[in-house]
Amino acid sequence: MTIDWGSALQYLPVLLKALWVSIYVTVISFGIGAVLGVFVYLGKSSRFALLRTVSSAYIEVMRNTPLLVQLYLVYFGLGQAGINFNPLWSVVLGMTLNNSAYTAEIFRAGFDAVPVGLREAGAALGLRPHQTFRYVVFKPAVRNVLPSLTNQFIILFLFSSVGSVISLEELTYVLQQLNSKTLLTISLFTYGALLYYLTSAVIARGSRLAERLVFRW
Amino acid sequence: MGEIVHDLPLLLRGAEFTVVVCAISGVVGSLVGLVFGMARASTSRVARVVSAVYINFIRGVPPLVILFFAYFVIPLAVPGVTFTIGFTVVLGLSVYAGAYMAEIVRGSIEAVPTGQSEAAEALGMGYLAKLRYVVLPQAMKIAVPPGIGFLIALVKASSLASVIGAVDITKAARILSTGNNEPLKMMLMAAALYFVVSYPISLLGRWYERRLGVRSGVAAGEGWV
Repeated sequence: MTIDWGSALQYLPVLLKALWVSIYVTVISFGIGAVLGVFVYLGKSSRFALLRTVSSAYIEVMRNTPLLVQLYLVYFGLGQAGINFNPLWSVVLGMTLNNSAYTAEIFRAGFDAVPVGLREAGAALGLRPHQTFRYVVFKPAVRNVLPSLTNQFIILFLFSSVGSVISLEELTYVLQQLNSKTLLTISLFTYGALLYYLTSAVIARGSRLAERLVFRW
Repeated sequence: MGEIVHDLPLLLRGAEFTVVVCAISGVVGSLVGLVFGMARASTSRVARVVSAVYINFIRGVPPLVILFFAYFVIPLAVPGVTFTIGFTVVLGLSVYAGAYMAEIVRGSIEAVPTGQSEAAEALGMGYLAKLRYVVLPQAMKIAVPPGIGFLIALVKASSLASVIGAVDITKAARILSTGNNEPLKMMLMAAALYFVVSYPISLLGRWYERRLGVRSGVAAGEGWV
């Protein structure tokens, strides 16, 4: 059989526009989710047992249920309860909550991996706990955390494709629409897959470069 | 109570589909991952390049798009073949799992200290003997925790099968919620079912981690969404 590689190319601008939606949904959800993740992490390492239990339960539930089900819960479930979000905000809300649980665990792993000796050395030098955190623990912890955060960002970007299921017009949704309109199935999905691959490859390379530039210390 | 009697059979049949499909693609994906992970860490240039292309490309494409390839593209590219939906899902998820498992295997092989490999060579072992008796046994021990972590990811990714029409937990809950107009309740039940399938796997990973004192993908915060 012959595959019409050329005809699908005219849709490249449409695909790129849809890719942009995938990217910005990911950036917003990742940003807010990571900030939220800091609080979830702080909750999990809190002195108060109740806060610890709630944070742990939140993390476990989020990490053991699929993003698709979480999106359905936000879009249809909250809709039934009278809280209606459009697809864009449903996806952003779902991905943000989802991401906060994963980043909380990344922060925990990163900060736990800083040797206790460093904290003790800070205390021995007469630094207060917040000073020890700021001047001693923070930098090595950030260095521990960044590769995992990049990984998480790429995975979140790939899973933004799930937004297509509740009709957010991102790359996968547009691919399906164009596919049923033009039947250029093979070439369209191949181009779509390449766009996803190239974007995540650029993110991975970019962050490795940034790490090398930033972490001279 | 009557509703639960009505709803539960479909949800449980969905759960059966989810569990069976994940079990098969978990096993197939692990085998594919073992082969490609070994190829990626091998001394043959061709094997390294071929496995790198597979691993890196699949890891850069959403699992949903991989399932679309299995569902739309393969029947077109290979005329005359028709797969059942179960087979299509297993195919897509195995290809997906294989790439991530391969990366885990590669990392584990490289985590075995080079001294081990050199010692095996010093004892006169050939490449295969070295791999079989010295490197792989140690690498597998390292690979198990992140491998288990990925199995959880696989269970969650299997929910995407509902998009191409397979009746798994998610699809069963969707069907029931369009029938009774109670998406909130149905989706919470679906979430609970996924939790029941996936949480024991997390506990297994943590138990293994504690027993062997190795870092695990489950607890180390490897994100899989």
